[in-house]
Amino acid sequence: MTTEKTAEKKPEYLKVEIARPRSYKWSSGKYLGKLYKEALEKKKLVTNRCPKCKQLMWPPMAVCGRCNVATGEDWVEMSDTGTVVQYTYLVFPLWDPHYGDRLANPYPTATIKLDNGVFLVHFLEEKDPEKLKKVKRVQAVWKEEGRGRGLADILCFRTIEE
Amino acid sequence: MTERVGIVAVAQTKYSPNRADANEGELVYEAVRQVLQETGLKFAQDGSGIDATVTCSQDFWDGRTISSCNVMSYVGHHHSDEDKVAEDSLNAVYTAFARILSGHQDVILVATHCKESQGDKRGIENAAMDPIFLRVLGLDFLSAAALQARRYMYKYGITPEQCARVVVKNRGNAKRNPLAQEPMEITVEDVLGSQVLASPIRQLDSKPTSDGACAMILAREGKAKKLARKPIWILGASNCYETNYLGDRDLAECDALVTAAKKAYKMAGIKDVMNQVNVAEISEEYSYQELLWMEGLGFCQRGEAGRLLDSGVTQMGGQLPVNPSGGMLAGNPTVVAGMARAAEAVLQLRGEAGEHQAEGAKKALVHGFTGACGQLQGVMILGN
Repeated sequence: MTTEKTAEKKPEYLKVEIARPRSYKWSSGKYLGKLYKEALEKKKLVTNRCPKCKQLMWPPMAVCGRCNVATGEDWVEMSDTGTVVQYTYLVFPLWDPHYGDRLANPYPTATIKLDNGVFLVHFLEEKDPEKLKKVKRVQAVWKEEGRGRGLADILCFRTIEE
Repeated sequence: MTERVGIVAVAQTKYSPNRADANEGELVYEAVRQVLQETGLKFAQDGSGIDATVTCSQDFWDGRTISSCNVMSYVGHHHSDEDKVAEDSLNAVYTAFARILSGHQDVILVATHCKESQGDKRGIENAAMDPIFLRVLGLDFLSAAALQARRYMYKYGITPEQCARVVVKNRGNAKRNPLAQEPMEITVEDVLGSQVLASPIRQLDSKPTSDGACAMILAREGKAKKLARKPIWILGASNCYETNYLGDRDLAECDALVTAAKKAYKMAGIKDVMNQVNVAEISEEYSYQELLWMEGLGFCQRGEAGRLLDSGVTQMGGQLPVNPSGGMLAGNPTVVAGMARAAEAVLQLRGEAGEHQAEGAKKALVHGFTGACGQLQGVMILGN
């Protein structure tokens, strides 16, 4: 009978894909703008200091969230050397969300305590899982041609012997 | 008896087409800083200051999930009680109001921001539609509004000239509001001669792209009286949702607004809105909306809003001035608009609206909405 045949038919489960990303034009604001400019032009990271608690902001910001005060223009240059605090070895691929580039895979990501006390998250150059266990001291390696993208203008952090 | 909830401080940025010089946090801090300075309040965990923060922003506009992270350092919710409300910011004021009425919190900072200059407005609005069923039709809030305008004008005989007179009134009022983005000395002919965007809506029937922020501090009655010389009381508040799918609604009607208004009026003891309310700030992204919303708010019978406008009742100096600030049409971002209306109503009730002050305002009506064709409607009654 017709009704039995209809009931036997499999339902249509479809996947509807939307591939086009939404576009944005974000403003860096004054403080992040200075960080980006210094990174591009001088290959240096800079940040500002809270006038009340004296702690370094990261990233540089107009207001200290801890103290709820306007921070002002007490700018300092960040250290480009630091100590690895923790790392992970990423096996699954990720992508650069702004430019769509595939990031090198696999790669290690680490939290690095810079010598001025600021915690920075970035890539490590060392890709050997065994050697990674011993990495302590690292230094920033800047890309030859920065794109004016702040932290992305740094290629990675390289192991240094001291 | 439950103590009332008062608004003790309000601040808005100047509204601007493109604040490329500031990120979201820096923008909202311009308003937050003013209300902190005005009240002398600090954030505190021991009940001695601001107990919590309610922010309003929209992830799609900010381009990140948990968009309140964009402003957390700037609005003081580091290690603190924080709540984020999306959609229209009048809902954030409603949330803060309810939190204080709960009796557990006394003082709350409410802050909202939106930078329309940063995002793809039509794409973001399209994303408010069902993702796999409706987005493919390319509808955004403009095209949805055009369908609603057409239906409303046809059903009730509202004319393009009457819609244009809303623009002339509001852009004209904006000339006396120093924070307004685009005050204009224009005529009905200017509006009717402007570019058609989606018929029958023309360029001047719609609001300009806008960036801005607003902040206010709410407190329970006992504290509000100490914190402010002239606290403004929230007498009634409500909201109501329509269905998302436009085909489920007669777009000439605004049932959600009718319901929201009835509930807010009941809470505030308003029986005759035209005689009990002295000034109204109504969110109108498109010119026809001020007329349709006035009907939904019960200012007149259905189809009578055009004639009510023509009679001059809603002009400055009329019985019930509508949008002395210039409204959304003079330039407010979506999201921020509802709270901007509330902030303007507070200035009116304090008698501190300067050149755009309406005479002798005792009670004010505040309206906010969001979504295609006003899917979510919020109404608040404030009094001094």
